[in-house]
Parts: sequence; C-alpha cells; structure tokens
Amino acid sequence: MLRLAIRNLFQSRARLLITAGGVALSLLLILTLDAIFQGVERQVSAYIDQSGADVFVAQAGVRNMHMASSSLPASALEEVERVPGVRSVTPILYVTNVVSIGDSRNVAYVIGLPAEALAGGPARVVEGRGIPLPGEAVIDRSIAVKAGVGIGDVVKILGRTFIIAGLTTGTVNLVSSVAFISMADFREARAGSDAMSFLLVRALPGVSLADLAARIEAQVSGVTAQPTAAFAAQERRVIRDMSTDLIAIMNLVGLLIGLAVMALTTYTASLSRRAEYGVLKALGARNADLRSTVIFQAMLSVALGFTAGLALTYILAAVVPLTGVNLLLLVTGESLLKVGAVSVLIAGASAVLPILQIGRLDPARVFRGGIGR
Amino acid sequence: MNTAMLDVQHVSKLYGEGTTQVRAVQDVSLTVAPGEIILIMGPSGSGKTTLLSMLGALLRPTEGRITLNGEDLTAASESRLPGIRLRQFGFIFQDFNLLSALSAMENVAIVAQLAGLRNGAARAKAAEALEALGLGERLNFLPEKLSGGEKQRVAIARALVNDPALILADEPTANLDSKIGHEIMQLLRRIAKEQGRSVVIVSHDQRIKDIADRVLWLEDGRFKELVTMAEDPVCRMAVEREQGISAEWNGETYYFCSRGCRAEFLENPAEFLRGAVS
Repeated sequence: MLRLAIRNLFQSRARLLITAGGVALSLLLILTLDAIFQGVERQVSAYIDQSGADVFVAQAGVRNMHMASSSLPASALEEVERVPGVRSVTPILYVTNVVSIGDSRNVAYVIGLPAEALAGGPARVVEGRGIPLPGEAVIDRSIAVKAGVGIGDVVKILGRTFIIAGLTTGTVNLVSSVAFISMADFREARAGSDAMSFLLVRALPGVSLADLAARIEAQVSGVTAQPTAAFAAQERRVIRDMSTDLIAIMNLVGLLIGLAVMALTTYTASLSRRAEYGVLKALGARNADLRSTVIFQAMLSVALGFTAGLALTYILAAVVPLTGVNLLLLVTGESLLKVGAVSVLIAGASAVLPILQIGRLDPARVFRGGIGR
Repeated sequence: MNTAMLDVQHVSKLYGEGTTQVRAVQDVSLTVAPGEIILIMGPSGSGKTTLLSMLGALLRPTEGRITLNGEDLTAASESRLPGIRLRQFGFIFQDFNLLSALSAMENVAIVAQLAGLRNGAARAKAAEALEALGLGERLNFLPEKLSGGEKQRVAIARALVNDPALILADEPTANLDSKIGHEIMQLLRRIAKEQGRSVVIVSHDQRIKDIADRVLWLEDGRFKELVTMAEDPVCRMAVEREQGISAEWNGETYYFCSRGCRAEFLENPAEFLRGAVS
C-alpha cells in the first residue's frame, strides 16, 4: 500500500508541485522567521561576546545592555580591582543613541572607552585604530559604506562631531550597530559625571568566573556581576522575550497556510482516487490499509515540502548577506525540531477528512458504478 | 486448489421502508458447484447487481442465507468480510477498475500483499499469473498503455492471484469488442474447468451463453426460468439443453447446436466424446 501512496503522489506531478511547494513556502515562513530572530539574537550579543571581558559588573539589578541603563560610582572600580582573582578592570560608558552621517541616522550602542582599555574595544578593526582618541569615533564599516564615508570623514554622536578614526566589522545587526568614542568625550557629553556604566573584568588564569562574579557581588556593594556568557545570554533573552509573541503569531500563520494547502490538496487527491479506493475496499482492503495509504501520502508530501522549505531557507541565509542587508539567518536544531513537529501536525490534520470519507465508502457501489463516476 | 460450493438459500434484499420499500431480490435460491460457470441475465433493474453484490459479501441480504464451503457469510461480522472477500472471491468488473498509478504487475501484486504476502513474493506471484494469461511482455505497463482486452486479463489475473474459490464477474465483456470479449470468456471458461473454480457472471451479452454451464434469468428480483447449458460434443459450442437437439448414446443424453452436428456425432460417437460434457 505504501507503493500505491508513492505512485499516486508522483503520478500527478502538478498536484505534487502545488502541495510540496505550498507546504515549503509555509514552512519557509516559519523557518526564516526563526532563523532571523536566532541571527538577531546572536548579532545583538556580538559586542558582549567579543568584548574580551570575563565578567561584566553593572549597577545592582542590571543584567543586560539592551534598553538598560547602568550607573556605577567611580569608587566601584578600585573596589572591584581589589577582589581576589581579578586581573584587570576596564570601565566603559554606554548609552543607546544615534550615529548621524549626513542625512543617514543609525541607532547604535555608543561606548565610551578609556585610552588604556584592556577590554570592551572593537574585536575586529578593518581600517584605522580601534581605541579612539578624543574627537575621534570608531564605527562599523557597513554603516560607513552605506553612508559613503570613510576614515577622516565626520560623524555626529551624542550631539557632537567626531572624525572617523577606525572602521570595524561584526558589531552591526538589523536595527543597530556599535560606535566607540573616547571616555573623555563621553563624559563631556554627559555633563562631566564620573560615573561609569559597566566594569569589564578580566580574571586571572584558572579562576572560576562564576565564583569570581559571586565574590565581586559579595565584596562590592550595589553591583550585579555576571560571567560574560551569562550576561550575553541575558541580552539575547531580552530580544527573545520581545519577539516571542511575534514568532508565535507568524508560526501560527505558517501553520494555517501549510494546513490549508495540504488539506485542500490531500482532499482533492483522495477525492480523485475515490473510485480506486472503493475498488480496493471491494477487493478486500481494510479501512486501516487505506488510512495508512492516505496518511503516508500526506506525510510524504509534507516531507518533500519540509525538505524544499529547508533548502530555500538555507539558500536565503546564503543570499541575504550578499545583498548588503545587515541580517544573519541562523537555522538551529531547535527550530528544525519545531518545524518538523509542525509538519507532522499539518500532515496528520490534512488526512483527517479524506480518511473519514474513505471510511464511509460503500464497497458494494463498485458493482453499481456509483463510486467516482 | 481452493474450490468451493456456494449455497444461496431464500435470499431477499429490501431497500427503503414503508410505502417506498423496494424489493430488489426476492427469495432467490441457488447452488454453485466447484468448476461451474453460471450466467445470470436479465433486464436492467432486475436485481442482478444486487444479487452479485450479496454473493460477493459486499452487501448483506435482508433475508436468507449465503454459505461458502459451509461458512455462513450472512452471519460473518463486518470486520471479517474484507478478509473473506480478499481470499475467497475474485472480482472482475465491467470497467476493469485497475489502479491507474500502478503497473499491470503491481495491480495484481497489491491484492496478494493485502492478503499477507511480502512484496517480493507478491510480485513473483503476480508476474506468474500475468505470464499465464499471456501478459509476460506487459508486466511493467501502466493500465493506460494496455488495450481493453489486456486490461481485462490483468483484472482476471488480479481476481485469481489469491487463489479464490469463486470468481464474480460483472459485465466482463461490456467494454470489449466481440472478438476480444469472446477470447476473455473462453479464458474464464478454461480457468473454471482447469482450476475447478466457480464463476458467476452477470451480463446482458447473449454471446456469453456459449461458455456458461447454466444460464439464469432474473426478472423483478426472481429467477423466472432456469436454462441449463451443455457442450455440443462435435463443434464444442454451448447449447441450451431445453432447446437443443439431443441424442442418446450409451445411456447418456448429448445436446447439439444443429441436426448436422447430431448426424456427424451419430456416425462415430467415440470420436467426439473425449473431453465432452454431456
């Protein structure tokens, strides 16, 4: 009976194309959206991941950077330096602001770096210097290219004009990038306050980062310390929490489109074979035999759609970066499992109506010419 | 070999209720012996198809009893009927009813697989059945690539593949030209006689009378007249006993299509009696 399902499926190529294509597109919707958000999550924590810090110290209760504000007193720097296991501490200032280049305005994490920064600077400098001097800015190359500027041109950050002294890569995502200015300029823009946003701690070799973070919290009052991996995870979680509802809605849309396409094509495919199923029943096939044929046919259609959808997603993931859009599509195993489960659900649900119809077929009608004629 | 005695006792089939009730088959009784070919004829709406459906365990009678080798089909549970149809009956339909996506061999093999044979064994058995019917060169052809006669032979192979006791054929020559129709009927007769399988045919085709052992006339759901057939020992044609020209020889009665055949027979009876059916 499985052979019959395969032959039935491949006999009508146009129907197979519509079925698998429809399912592929609906699964592509789910997969791509998942891949986009996975990519955004990774991009959004790229600065933290590549900061070179082992532990991030923030104002008590602050556990990430996105849409957060942290203010630490100047005294916290020395207190953290005195904690056993700490090799170095780099203070940074941080605010979400806009990098203006001519008419181009780009949202950015603006980082104020000390001249002697041992962490927190750009990870990949492709041109110029990484640590800006007063009056200088280091921005992402893709922002500069988009605006048609380069080293030596000017940008406006925090209402002040800076000369571009360095270009970086890997800090830009769909909605923002990271721009670096000197700590002195940052302080000046913030009316001379000596407060710091975060302290980036590098640990001595062999020190447990979790233990070190715990020691910092115990010995320095008013701070929250987290190993960099945990801090980055919190950053990603904020993005995930913000996108969960959207992903759920789009998943539902994808599921419904896939279900509609599959239900329609499975129904019409079974309807067109109604006479043949009637003949098989007359010859002695049981409802269970016919049920398995319909379900296998639906599963096979969805499997083909799933494969095509996955291939399209990977093609999209490879093509999108070539278009200059700052978008990373990341297909994860979790996403594949979810889409696989959705596919099985679509296949199963689409087979229900045909199965009910076939179950009600009267085999005696095959002699009376009443099935499908 | 699977041979069987089909016994139909006082079978009726009613459709509807009250004033709209229709009695499609009324108190029909019939016995089919192993190897016997029975042709049921009658006008449209006479109940032929209803009777055939009941004989094939596709439809339950309202009254009466149908037994196959002593097993009461009318009392069998719904869940047992598909298995009975699969193993005890071979069905041949007017429109061939082959599965369009499957090759000739797969059309036959699928029925063997439904009966429990593994794929390889089912295909081998299907190929053997088709080769026996002269379709060895057509095993992998789709039905759309076969002629009407070839399609009906595939349908016959499908009907035979599970070694059934009884073959039920519904208008098997209706979609065939007269020559092919005759060949198909001769093939069915050969199968019945050589393999001892019973065959019940429902048809309007008068020419089929030639191959039948008995012809039953169904009208208004009842058998009106019983016609029994015999083979002319000279020309081998089937003739109605009641209307045929007969001759006695050696204590037996023989039937002929014409006076010429009878005269030829009487000149040297022994020459014609090898294999003849009196």
